[in-house]
Amino acid sequence: MNKPKVIILRGTGTNCDIETLTSFKYVGAEPELVHINQLLSGARKVLDYSIMAFPGGFSYGDDISAGKIFALKMSRLNADFEKFIKTKRPVIGICNGFQILVKTGFLPENKANAQVSTLYNNDCGHFLARWEKFRINKSSPCIFTKGLPDEIDLPIAHGEGKFMIEDKKIMADLLGRELHAITYADNPNGSMHDIAGITNAAGTCFGLMPHPERNFFAHQRPDRPAGAREAVSVGYQFFSNAVEYVKG
Amino acid sequence: MIIEIWTKEKYSASEEAALSRRLGHAGLAVEAARLSRLYKVDGDFTAKEFRSIASELLVDKITEKFSLSGRPHGLKGAYRAEVWLKESATDPVGETVKEAVEEFSGKTARAVRFGHAYYVACGSELKLRHAVGKTLVNEIVNICRIEKL
Amino acid sequence: MTDPMSNFTTLNAKQLAGLDSACGWSLNALELAEAQRYFKKAGREPERGELETLAQTWSEHCKHKTFSGPVSFKAGGKTKKYKNLFKETIVKATRTLNKKWCLSVFTDNAGIVEFGNKGKWGLAFKAETHNHPCAVEPYGGAETGVGGVIRDILGVGLGAKPVLNTDTFCFGFPDTKMKMPKNSHPPERIFRGVVEGVRDYGNRMGIPTAAGGIYFDDGYCLNPLVYVGCAGLIPVDKIDKKVHSGDLIVSIGGRTGRDGIHGATFSSANIDEETTTSAVQIGHAINEKKTLDVIMRARDLNLYNAVTDCGAGGFSSAIGELGSETGARVHLDAARLKDTRIEPWEIWVSESQERMILAVPQAKLKKLAAILDAESCEYCVLGNFPGDGRLLVTHGETSVVDLPMAFLHGGVPNFEKPAVQRVIKINSKTPAKPAKSYGHILKNLLAHPNICSRHSVITQYDHEVQGGTVIKPLQGRYGDGPGDAAVIWPQAATLDLADFAGFAVGHGFNPALGKIDPYQMALQSIDEAIRNLLCTGAEISRTAIMDNFCAASPKDPRVMGDLVLAAEGCHDGAIAYGAPFISGKDSFYNQARDAEGREYPIPISLLISATAPVEDVRKAITMDFKEAGNPVYLAGVCGRGMGGSVYNDMTGPGNNHITPLDMKAAVRLYTTLLIAIKKGWVAAAHDVSQGGLAVTLAEMAFSGGLGAQLDLAGAAKEKGLSALELLFGESPARLALEVVKEHETGFLKLVKGLPVKEIGHVTEEPALLAGDSGNNFFREDIHQLKTRWKRELI
Repeated sequence: MNKPKVIILRGTGTNCDIETLTSFKYVGAEPELVHINQLLSGARKVLDYSIMAFPGGFSYGDDISAGKIFALKMSRLNADFEKFIKTKRPVIGICNGFQILVKTGFLPENKANAQVSTLYNNDCGHFLARWEKFRINKSSPCIFTKGLPDEIDLPIAHGEGKFMIEDKKIMADLLGRELHAITYADNPNGSMHDIAGITNAAGTCFGLMPHPERNFFAHQRPDRPAGAREAVSVGYQFFSNAVEYVKG
Repeated sequence: MIIEIWTKEKYSASEEAALSRRLGHAGLAVEAARLSRLYKVDGDFTAKEFRSIASELLVDKITEKFSLSGRPHGLKGAYRAEVWLKESATDPVGETVKEAVEEFSGKTARAVRFGHAYYVACGSELKLRHAVGKTLVNEIVNICRIEKL
Repeated sequence: MTDPMSNFTTLNAKQLAGLDSACGWSLNALELAEAQRYFKKAGREPERGELETLAQTWSEHCKHKTFSGPVSFKAGGKTKKYKNLFKETIVKATRTLNKKWCLSVFTDNAGIVEFGNKGKWGLAFKAETHNHPCAVEPYGGAETGVGGVIRDILGVGLGAKPVLNTDTFCFGFPDTKMKMPKNSHPPERIFRGVVEGVRDYGNRMGIPTAAGGIYFDDGYCLNPLVYVGCAGLIPVDKIDKKVHSGDLIVSIGGRTGRDGIHGATFSSANIDEETTTSAVQIGHAINEKKTLDVIMRARDLNLYNAVTDCGAGGFSSAIGELGSETGARVHLDAARLKDTRIEPWEIWVSESQERMILAVPQAKLKKLAAILDAESCEYCVLGNFPGDGRLLVTHGETSVVDLPMAFLHGGVPNFEKPAVQRVIKINSKTPAKPAKSYGHILKNLLAHPNICSRHSVITQYDHEVQGGTVIKPLQGRYGDGPGDAAVIWPQAATLDLADFAGFAVGHGFNPALGKIDPYQMALQSIDEAIRNLLCTGAEISRTAIMDNFCAASPKDPRVMGDLVLAAEGCHDGAIAYGAPFISGKDSFYNQARDAEGREYPIPISLLISATAPVEDVRKAITMDFKEAGNPVYLAGVCGRGMGGSVYNDMTGPGNNHITPLDMKAAVRLYTTLLIAIKKGWVAAAHDVSQGGLAVTLAEMAFSGGLGAQLDLAGAAKEKGLSALELLFGESPARLALEVVKEHETGFLKLVKGLPVKEIGHVTEEPALLAGDSGNNFFREDIHQLKTRWKRELI
């Protein structure tokens, strides 16, 4: 079977694009780095790909707020992005990518694609890079977290990761439909309900603050587990799940 | 036009505590502290356009509020310190926002500068000036104006 | 007002000096006279731009006149003469060692060594300082320091991809009692500002900041040191660069403005209240990220023949350097500007950040422009390299500079500097038995600013971006143990997930030793850096090192004496360890006037940065105890003396003897230990450094969440060693090891005849017990030890 084509969408200031690329390559996909300018100029088309990834970084410096300017640039092509998501092609936003999906209004899913949540400044007031424990919501429809253990370790690296929804109904709906696919075991940033990542109802569009691509191999872990030197680690699953889903 | 943006009061406790702590490092006893982001947008925009730049581009609707005519701060008798980078210093945030304003509105801004306003209830202007000068402001690169509210 | 340059050739020495200080050039009398001689001979008066160019090109920052000049050194009634101190010590060691795996040394922006086993890659490494700007504006100074050293890596060869940032800081103690002068920032503020600058710039660049250190000493109250380093990967076929006649001069990245005037001259002058705003800048990381993205793409398409960074001296240095053989024709009116209120000569010498210069063949400009546009990166074509050896810079019809390159790069005069050895009194008496218990001392040491946890700083840096920080600055069971060295797996540069080659980076730094014996400081810093690499399992026989000297005014012969001794130490250490220097940098005049107006110099400070290959990153090891029941060994001999120790810093003067380093014994020991590590026999290794053996063992214990029962009677030690020296002395060339129980027999056979002795074993019970043949030193709960150590430093 053909390798699924992955668009790794980058812009000025994106900086986790290469490790996201190598991760997708490793799980048998055919990823390509595409600058948002290439979409805007028409040189590349979103709908030519079957998986989309928004990597981490500081798009446009995260000036104004994280992901805001990238989301603004995407808005001219919203019809294409909407179609991509509606046709249930997997979309993953990691860290800055999650922030972009929130600022575009693609997550949490809503009819108007309005921004109904935010990822705000960490309670500690600054950037924080460290390993955290996470809980996987087994009841979530999220396709990316399928088959993961109940508790996993991943590194976080963000200054604006505090997930917040003002509207209680939207929050209740999100929780009720188990769209909070991954939560912090020990909340590092003040996120409501310890939410670290959310999905759409189809489970195909997923944003999360931690970096699965940094715990892809066992040797990337701080505790250096003996005997696991050849092995992949939990991050692998996020990427292979997407590819398996597309392959059906 | 100066667009002022601040965190809604129900979410601002931690950033205010951090500001008080920081000023406390310089020996200032802070009774209450608030902070805002400032964007000085210089360009031929109508009032409506400025409002839309603020509400659609610069503010985070979930957590923040904005004003084009100054913030209702509710700290009578306190001081307001307004801090900018000097004109001769590069303002990277201002530059990015200038481009974003163009992208958003289709019109070019002559310049955008980024700054902060701090509202501090404390002993005296002199003490505040000293504490701000030791923590938040470096007169080599910043301009700071302090006024009594 | 008459142009002060209009009668330059007729000025007397005093008038020249006055002009120099009015213009802020920092040229000395000899250099001013040389410039005057040139223009007299040329039969004309200079343009301002020409003198500015000379001031930049001949500055301490660009030419390193002190270190590479002649020195006359007096010690113990003898005099030794150097024609070029740098060449006769540091460079000499590299030449003597003549390692084939050194691909480029001392010539380009950074040193380059072979990387990996496929002959495909080189590893470029460079460290710099940005001290004066950080004293004046800590945040902007640190940002632009980081940005500058990254550009060094982007501008080495045809451009390397940065994969690691390092930083080492020296500040006054945050709670210093020193009275600060009015115009200076307190250490706590400098610390905070510098960390935030490194954070905001490094994180935005997407380069992990994963190695370095923080050192406190009140000698740095007025003159903080901020060492910034960067390592990058470069394909070996992209190491050579050569400007071709006819190439276009293309500037990419940031715009030019008044914000960058007089940086090079600034770093050579003492700081005082007159320091002007234009000497410090605010960084713009996103502009630099754009240039990084452009250079990586354009390099692989061969779109330019040469590249270099705009650092000190701005266009004048970058274009002057690239065109040193071809000459350069520059039209300054083509420059993209931040600010229209700028003089032509200011455009020429402005050090505005985030700019790189490319030499681009005319036929490739269109393709390059397409990439620049695609990455939203600004650029301008400033002129070309004509091939006539002449530097001609114009703005419209006005001539700004018209000089032969040969004069610019060859003309700088130099003179001999006197140096003397400092007289230091050594107290070698056995240190007094402390009044407080050893457990109490251990806890205080763990909380000492020079030992306690750096997590509150490290976690602000994105130290794992690029997914290749395999051995992290925070490691172990809880991800918070203090690592000795970082190991980087540069997958984001090689894109090869099946290639597990990596490299380790570690540091050695010990100004406390330098105050007593600069020669031993240099030796022991090299030893510490290499030992740190060894603790991860790096191939230390392939270590490459860099020197970064910071010193006070070289006009003080004692400061020059410190420098000579340390430089000799660098030479001897490099030879003994077989570790060539591949690059280096120095910074002088790190002194200022204190509140009472007295000169306040920094101690001689030498940062040794070291790198060595790691064959298979999956086999690299960390410092935390792994498993109860495993035996603990101490490798190396515990020597006498408390000189330079943190204990002495806490308790005040006493015994200040330093155990001299036995380099031959160290090399023998390390070579064998590396075999054991590579065989997988060593579960954890940690160097004995600040705080001594007790601190090392405590860190290994609480980082692994395990205890240890230790009997130090068996440790190899010098005769007459006191318990205090054994526990808290900092004699060199020692490391503690946890050996895998099932491999202990093999390990013992391997280390036979070496000073490697069992001192106990790891325990499940979370307590650290240490004694000496039944004589109990202390018994401490590891969680309590960790609580004391894990302070929020910032």
